[in-house]
Amino acid sequence: MDSRLRSQVVFHLTGRQPDDGGAEQPLPAGLRPALLAPYRKLESIRHDFPVVLAAGPGEYVVSLAAAVDGALRTAAPQGLQGEAMRKRALHIERLIREAVAKGAQGTLLQAWDTAVAGAGTDDAWRREMTAVRNALAVDGELAGCDSRLPSRFLRHAWAVVQGDKARAARLRIDALVLRLEGILRADYARSAVAFQVANLQQTFGGSHQALFNFATMSRLLSPAASQGGLDTPRRARIEWALRTLREQAFFPPPGDPGAQEANNGGFAFDNVSAALESCRHRLPDMLSLLKALSLAELEVEGQFVEQLHAPIFDGMQSQDFTAAELQFFPDYLVTLDSDAPGVQADLGNALSSGMPVKVLLEVRDLLEEAAPGQGRFSFGMRGSQLASMAMTFGDAFVLQSAASNLLHMRDGIQRGLRHAGPTLFSVYAPADGESTLPGYLAAASAMQSRAFPAFSYDPGRGSDSATRFSLENNPQPDVDWPLEFLTYADQDLQAVTEELAFTFVDFLLADRRHNRHFAVIPRAHWGEGLISARQWLESPPADAATGLPYVLAVDDADLLCRVVVDERMMRAAQRCRETWHRLQELGGIHDSRTEALLAREKAAWEQGRAVDTAALAPAAIPAAPGDQPSIAAAVPDTAAAEDEAAPNPDVAYIETLRCSSCNECTLASPKMFAYDQNKQAYITDLKAGSYRQLVEAAESCQVSVIHPGKPWNSDEPGLDELIERARPFQ
Amino acid sequence: MSAATLCLHHFAEENYALEDYQGGVPRWCKGCGDNAILAAMQRLCRDEALRPEKTVFVSGIGCSSRLPHYMRTYGFHGIHGRALPIAEGIKLARPDLHVFVNTGDGDCCSIGAAHWIHAIRYNMNMTVLLHDNHIYGLTKKQASPTSPIGTRSNTTPRGSYLDALSPLTVTLGVQNVSFVAQAVDWIPESLFQILTAAYRHRGFSFVRILQRCPEFVGNMFEPWVHDPQRMLMLTHADGIRVSPALQKIYRNQLPHDPADINRAREIASSEDPIPVGILYRNPEVPCYEDLRGAGKLRTADQVRGTLDAELDKFTVWPQ
Ligand SMILES: Cc1ncc(C[n+]2csc(CCOP(=O)(O)OP(=O)(O)O)c2C)c(N)n1
Ligand code: SF4
Ligand code: SF4
Ligand SMILES: [Mg+2]
Repeated sequence: MDSRLRSQVVFHLTGRQPDDGGAEQPLPAGLRPALLAPYRKLESIRHDFPVVLAAGPGEYVVSLAAAVDGALRTAAPQGLQGEAMRKRALHIERLIREAVAKGAQGTLLQAWDTAVAGAGTDDAWRREMTAVRNALAVDGELAGCDSRLPSRFLRHAWAVVQGDKARAARLRIDALVLRLEGILRADYARSAVAFQVANLQQTFGGSHQALFNFATMSRLLSPAASQGGLDTPRRARIEWALRTLREQAFFPPPGDPGAQEANNGGFAFDNVSAALESCRHRLPDMLSLLKALSLAELEVEGQFVEQLHAPIFDGMQSQDFTAAELQFFPDYLVTLDSDAPGVQADLGNALSSGMPVKVLLEVRDLLEEAAPGQGRFSFGMRGSQLASMAMTFGDAFVLQSAASNLLHMRDGIQRGLRHAGPTLFSVYAPADGESTLPGYLAAASAMQSRAFPAFSYDPGRGSDSATRFSLENNPQPDVDWPLEFLTYADQDLQAVTEELAFTFVDFLLADRRHNRHFAVIPRAHWGEGLISARQWLESPPADAATGLPYVLAVDDADLLCRVVVDERMMRAAQRCRETWHRLQELGGIHDSRTEALLAREKAAWEQGRAVDTAALAPAAIPAAPGDQPSIAAAVPDTAAAEDEAAPNPDVAYIETLRCSSCNECTLASPKMFAYDQNKQAYITDLKAGSYRQLVEAAESCQVSVIHPGKPWNSDEPGLDELIERARPFQ
Repeated sequence: MSAATLCLHHFAEENYALEDYQGGVPRWCKGCGDNAILAAMQRLCRDEALRPEKTVFVSGIGCSSRLPHYMRTYGFHGIHGRALPIAEGIKLARPDLHVFVNTGDGDCCSIGAAHWIHAIRYNMNMTVLLHDNHIYGLTKKQASPTSPIGTRSNTTPRGSYLDALSPLTVTLGVQNVSFVAQAVDWIPESLFQILTAAYRHRGFSFVRILQRCPEFVGNMFEPWVHDPQRMLMLTHADGIRVSPALQKIYRNQLPHDPADINRAREIASSEDPIPVGILYRNPEVPCYEDLRGAGKLRTADQVRGTLDAELDKFTVWPQ
């Protein structure tokens, strides 16, 4: 074995550089995966960052690029005419992006002004850029994709939801306060006190007071004062509810951002036990407020029934809160560091507490050595596996994402914050300076390489994990590693295009903490024994000497090189791929059981289809639908009339169904006729009146539905004439 | 209102009887068709368990407009032709109330015609009953816009000159129309069914009710009252179904899908036979009160301030 190869094998197997003179050079500065070569000048690329954490209504976070595009759509003339203006605005946008990357802080408008001032432009320029500035539909803090992004982003999203909640709650509370006050005021207005001279006088505008004699008015009105008014228990209930609603300390008055911010402060924590303690402490007040709300709602509707409702209100307890009731109140935001000791137990406590807790788990490092410098890596225990664990708390909402992907996840984040129940956001953002890449690329490559896949688990979506779980936003989710094409110039300056996978190893290559697991191989030694890491992962060679895994990288000068990876890192990559497979299966991709079932069903279906096709007879053609029936010639439905039993013409009756409730018969002979429950007349007691009364009723019935039949008393005078008059109504 | 409160609400559900909705004693003439409309309305309130204090009847001026007096609910007997704007105001301020409007053919189609057109377009959630007796009843027999050509009246002693206006086709021609039906007072059961469907429709439900005025135009509807076969019952799974008992009398039926507006317009033009049923229904049309976020509560101070400002505009200051 040639000594170079030997030292490479030693490195691969042990992770140590051999001392026999074959020492590899240290990793060149700025080494990064070859696929990331095009992104070297990130500030000049319009990407998702920085974002604007927008204040006010509308989307709560937008990318700087989207904000500028929106402004240009309104401010810049269409077509070629607006081209110059667009270019200048994009230049300002780029200056802002650079400033934020260098750590500038402040709002979009502030950054815009600074950039315009710094661009040293003339007045016309400035005016133009002011027009674009004025057309910016959003403003708010700018945030770059750095290690602070997850907490800033989540805190902002959470504050927006708290603001919405407070507004809705105050609307409900304030409306009830108004209406309860209205009840008390109405009660007062009808009381004897209100009709006293001085009080009457109070109700009149000053300009007309002299025109009235309030003493006389009081004398006239006083007899009309209501006796008693509100009864004592009701008044007490209303006053209690009013007091509770007015004094509640959960929702500050609307329209005061300062008060809302201060209020939010009481609900944000950096450890779970303090959050839970604070929540428990507030339970009695929450119970009182909920009681007051329900009670007030019943009272303003006049629906409170003492015997029915009082026991229910007395029996209410805070243990009985439903998730929906808890959701009415502000949520607790707890920010945890995945490296902190005991974080797993803390998470468990938070997610199983039944309290409205929203946890942000900040993940900084995905690779952890059991004992430093020794043994196995326990890949991802701190980060992505905590999120997987959280899914076992059936009602918890879980969302995982790299910081770079947060903008795409903004709707999911809102859903998680509005979820009635605990929520976990697990977000990866590498510590600043740990990567040779800018924060955005470092985070994005964690997601790209499956080291930190994005997923969400939303219990609100359905009852089974297939509908709850989603792998949205991961690139090429149905393969092990995303594949991309890389085109480069070879030694003869000929273009070569190669398909490369972006693996877990590529991701770690850029992380300074893991440099020692990589060794650069000079071009002269790109010998036979090397295979790509992707290939190695697909089928690890039995003997290290026949296949050393490498990844393609570029140095600062964009020169391509191959980097050998040590074996422990490759094992970590294998475990990463296994974890990814489990997620894929959860997300219904390559689900082994489903695939087996599908194969079976497909075979059965094809068999069945063969039988059906053989038996298929020519189908009968349905008759064309006829024309619409004509209105005038609509055919009477005679069939319905067939079985009609004709009423006995000798017996008096009313076609009650057709009675038009005109009161004629019922008022003329209340003993003979009455109304049924639908206010339609029927004969109650014929003998209670005379045949004459009956015939007269028939004559006065405007819709002719009284049928007098034959007389029942042959002694009644004038029967012949009455029978004649009754004839048209038989 | 929260789900919990709603649940507590149902706890105290009340049952009403027809008499609970009976207000003053009706002062309509002998045999007047308005009585049947009143009875159907009371039956609707009872069967839908409308709380009297949550229900309001609004009317203009006319015999028909007296109906609110006979209901034991809230009522607003307005001014001639202005029932609809008043009802709209009520709905905007109190969207929680069930709003019904009683209006006559003079009230709605003559002096109030402009309000009528716009009320259709606003599509606010209310049920409108057009008591159409083809005459001005209260003022003792003047021709109305719906009087058939040739109607002799105090204002047209030689017979009216113009073709009658059809409230149905007019309504069906206005943008945002969402519910149009026709009923007759002399088939109380279908009147009740149609009013129920109208009430349940969310939007401006317009029900034209042909109503007999025995006092002044006693013969107007006689041929139809006495010949059930000259009535045309519109039936459909999405409309109303004619009960078996009623089918024995009114055998002339026409299937009609209320989603079909063109067919609705065609049927609406028929005067003989008289179609009865739901001509058109479209639940998708937005309601104005929803667009305008109605029902905003105002503090006592705001109300006083606005009232003072309004009254100041008309105040004649004492010298
Ligand atoms: C502004 C105004 N103009 C005229 C009248 C007189 N007026 C009272 S009722 C009425 C017509 C009522 O007819 P209709 O609306 O058909 O009601 P009906 O009595 O037929 O039910 C008229 C013109 C009035 N009250 N106010
Ligand atoms: S007279 Fe005729 S319509 Fe009037 S209540 Fe009696 S039965 Fe009914
Ligand atoms: S005048 Fe006609 S509409 Fe008016 S109450 Fe008398 S019958 Fe009825
Ligand atoms: Mg009339």
